[in-house]
Amino acid sequence: MPRHVAVIMDGNARWARRSAGHEAGVKSLRELTKLCSEWGIGVLTVFAFSSDNWVRPKAEVELLMGLFERVIQMELENFMREGVQVCMIGDSLNLPKSLQKLFADAEEMTKNNSRLQLIAAVSYSGKHGIVQACRTIACKVKDSHLELEDFGERLIERELETSCSEFPCPDLLIRTSGELRLSNFMLWQLAYTELFFVRALWPDFGKAEFIEALLSYQQRQRRYGARVS
Amino acid sequence: MCGFRSMGSTNKMRGPNCWTARVGSFGLQLIWHFIHFIISTCYFVLGLADAVDSYVISSGLLKKYNDLNLGKLRYLAIGVDSDEARQTSKVIKLLQWLSDIGMKHVCLYDEEGVLKKSKDAILEKLSHVRLFEETDEKLPLDKKNMNLELASPSDGKEAVAKAANLLFTKHLELKSATEDQGENVFTEANMSEALRALGCSGPEPDLLLVYGPARCHLGFPPWRLRYTEIVHMGPLKSMKHGSLMKAIYKFTLVHQNYGK
Repeated sequence: MPRHVAVIMDGNARWARRSAGHEAGVKSLRELTKLCSEWGIGVLTVFAFSSDNWVRPKAEVELLMGLFERVIQMELENFMREGVQVCMIGDSLNLPKSLQKLFADAEEMTKNNSRLQLIAAVSYSGKHGIVQACRTIACKVKDSHLELEDFGERLIERELETSCSEFPCPDLLIRTSGELRLSNFMLWQLAYTELFFVRALWPDFGKAEFIEALLSYQQRQRRYGARVS
Repeated sequence: MCGFRSMGSTNKMRGPNCWTARVGSFGLQLIWHFIHFIISTCYFVLGLADAVDSYVISSGLLKKYNDLNLGKLRYLAIGVDSDEARQTSKVIKLLQWLSDIGMKHVCLYDEEGVLKKSKDAILEKLSHVRLFEETDEKLPLDKKNMNLELASPSDGKEAVAKAANLLFTKHLELKSATEDQGENVFTEANMSEALRALGCSGPEPDLLLVYGPARCHLGFPPWRLRYTEIVHMGPLKSMKHGSLMKAIYKFTLVHQNYGK
């Protein structure tokens, strides 16, 4: 089984107009979280909102922010019961203050949960994440926590937001709705990740589709850049 | 005696339970292997269908593949598994196909720099291919020529780390010269500029075709992959002209929203 699964949840708006598609998408997320938890997958990262999505119509953006708030409030009790730890990655400063607080509270409340780590990428950009890691390193050097010669690939990787996880690099990426691209998601972390692109729209992605993705992952030869002698 | 008798009964009681557990476990394994067998058979049949499809496309019978509109495909990248990249003749054949289709700008990448080492062998066989230098970007290509860029991890994550070091040096200079803490130095635009200064900032490919056993992008320079379409083509040794045409044709039909 993969230790870390990442998902680009694409296709809600195509599934149904207005809020129905996004509401249906929440059900798919709920089911996937349950399956990952039951099947021993340690980390699930979901691409909920890209920094590029801010250009969408204001009404849609507000609807999505409201939906995120409702989902966190509704699901927090489930997360505590099911042992799900919630983490958020992305530029939270752009989010409404109420949502920022909800995420912070959810992270604090669930920090000791260990069955599944659910990482929500909200207002997230892969490029921004890399730049942010470099900025963090610069601050640490300034504060004398690091020496300049330490600035390298491994250090950048350690300072990416996904280092909140024991397994920061996904083993399997699933993107729904038939699109074949990463859309600025985890650009650094996905170097050797199995890419599984599926035609189903996100609200139609269920157990059968997830099993197909897992079987595809298990069929591949994975070397993570090493040489097989 | 009673103790022994009771232990024997306990063993007899454990026996059937133990057997049941073993049989159950064996049964589950059998079911799992059976599912994998079915999936493998499905992939085999799909592979066969793909081979037939590819043959039909290559034969020119399907008109839509004969005149590909490459307007949207300004920059194509090919990622090759390093073990397979050693088959230079296959790589050369692939480049020849791309040139015949009319591709003008191609980036070849592998995760060990094998293709960079094979540069001379590749250029020797393909006289109309020239190496891409960033200064050449604006020079027009004549009809037959193709610009070729050879990339490796030194152009990817290593380059980003070096670019970050450049920005950090600038950050220290700003900090000592002014009261500005210099953290504004770390922006996406400045990172792109630093990569350009290092000679590691080729264009973002519109399409990346990956040849190899694993369906991943093999560590292609992450700074250049934001909206790149990624298609897994299978092993290089089984590459087919028809499959290449089909992948490029499908790309020409794609519509991107870029987040909107």
